[in-house]
Amino acid sequence: MSLIEMHQVTKEYLKGNQKIAPLQDATLSVERGEFVSFMGASGSGKTTMLNLIAGIDRPTSGRIIIDGTDITQLSRSKLAYWRAEHVGYVFQLYNLVPVLSAYENVELPLLLLPMSRAERQKRVGIALECVGLTDRADHYPRQLSGGQEQRVGIARALVAHPAIIVADEPTGDLDAETSEQVLHLLQRLNKELGITFLMVTHDPRAAAIAGRQLRLDKGRLVDPARSAEAPVAMPA
Amino acid sequence: MFRFAPYVLKSLWRHGTRTALTATGAAIALFLFSFVGAIQDGLADLGRHSERQLIVFQANRYCPFTSQVPEHYTATIAKTPGVKDVVPIKVYTNNCRASLDVVVFNGMPPDKVRSARDLNLVAGDWSEFEKHRDAAVVGQVLARRRNLSVGQRFSIGQVTVTLAGIFTSRNAAEENFIYTHLDFLQYTRGLNSVGTVTEFEVRLADGADADAVAHAIDEQYRGGPIQTDTRTKGVFLTKAVGDLVELIHFTNYLGYACVALVFCLVATTTVMAVQDRVREHALLQTLGFSGRRIFALVMSESLLVSLVGGAIGIAAALAVLAWSHMAIGTEGVTIAFAPSISLALTGLGVTVAIGVLGGCVPAWQAARAEIVSSLRYT
Repeated sequence: MSLIEMHQVTKEYLKGNQKIAPLQDATLSVERGEFVSFMGASGSGKTTMLNLIAGIDRPTSGRIIIDGTDITQLSRSKLAYWRAEHVGYVFQLYNLVPVLSAYENVELPLLLLPMSRAERQKRVGIALECVGLTDRADHYPRQLSGGQEQRVGIARALVAHPAIIVADEPTGDLDAETSEQVLHLLQRLNKELGITFLMVTHDPRAAAIAGRQLRLDKGRLVDPARSAEAPVAMPA
Repeated sequence: MFRFAPYVLKSLWRHGTRTALTATGAAIALFLFSFVGAIQDGLADLGRHSERQLIVFQANRYCPFTSQVPEHYTATIAKTPGVKDVVPIKVYTNNCRASLDVVVFNGMPPDKVRSARDLNLVAGDWSEFEKHRDAAVVGQVLARRRNLSVGQRFSIGQVTVTLAGIFTSRNAAEENFIYTHLDFLQYTRGLNSVGTVTEFEVRLADGADADAVAHAIDEQYRGGPIQTDTRTKGVFLTKAVGDLVELIHFTNYLGYACVALVFCLVATTTVMAVQDRVREHALLQTLGFSGRRIFALVMSESLLVSLVGGAIGIAAALAVLAWSHMAIGTEGVTIAFAPSISLALTGLGVTVAIGVLGGCVPAWQAARAEIVSSLRYT
């Protein structure tokens, strides 16, 4: 059984009198440990697909089964807890809480799980070490560079050991050099920890690091078959 | 919920000025509210310690200066069915009108001061009081206000006494009184009180009907040269401060206004906090915070600001009340504004209620926000 299964998922909403369908009849399966990238023009439905898989949006129709759980059937509160346990989210604009230090930002998802303080401390330490920011643990977002903020975001996404990490344009706000570093980090985490990554990007170079590259066009998945090309390894 | 305390506290600190101003507003409003409450409590206290007592006053007289009832009425009143004890009292006050610095002398037989009053001497000696005709015992509140000490000789108006003791009482208003010998006040030059008293305090026997006994006492003197007007002590005291009662009841509206003001302050601050953090709350939901938890976080902030400000205001009010020993008197009756545990608890209860009510709508809105659209909010 695949880790992620989408069955004819459609998302529609009304804008005034007009019906907008950012995603139509999407069917997809993703295996555990895969790194999948989604590319497409603006408005093609990439972020919508990501948001549906991450459980922060609800489809209008269809089913999404993740690790055996049909998340479309979960209540709002159960879905929230499901997200805490199963999904990490990396944002384009980092979305760190400005009043919390790097340590406290990374710790946030763990506060929702039944865990002792000592265990939380250990996990946060490991997550910050993974992204190379142990010495910045007590810095606040305003004291970090863009790349460092994104690495804190990545640490926050993986600290709860989720099955899936979704990344929405993780390098969209970074310069070329920093983008490479972040992409290398994501690739390394995928290989070393076996976390399934789903990444939306406009950047073909970023998309190329994924093991499977999918395209969306006007709300529909094109080329859902596995990519024949091998992923591009980012320089260290 | 305590594991989220750093987040709640830091979120409040993020807009430190706004938080401080809201808390300060809450403090000022609860300070006023507590003061109003103390005044109301003081008024309610008038009737609390006098359930089984009557006051016999001269009919159609209102100020203690003008009530002159013959002292020999003591014997006949004592024989009225239902009467357990009669205490003749001469009242002298430095100001018959409403004032914050009223001094009231109560001249009573010295043995009656100890038996008819629940006084606890904290300084001085009862025997010194009983031995000397011009001796007085003073309530602690009045002693502090006028800076009096045992052994000191002092004058108020036409009366000069020597302080033999300082007492405390369960009845806060009592601590604004001076007790001295009845005959001393009667014979004081200028008071023209020989053979008369201002009032009789009548203690009822168990099971006696207060109204019936009052009626029986007045009937004895109806048509005579000095007629009496007998009422229960609570009614008498309330009537004596009748004008003040209207004013004090009006201050209730001031108290309600304070509560409404704090509610608006806290609600505004919480609404602003939620509007500032639409994306942040969406982020928290993305991380797995449920709507209920977001609600609790916002509510915690609202409650904390209200509680901190309110607690400071209440504490300050209690401290001022305790230190200033304020009381207002008129026509020989005193209303004390005293701090109390119940006042503090009422204030805290109001503060908590305001924090909850002020925060519930913005908290609910934050909890129900749509994640995707909120993440795009700028």
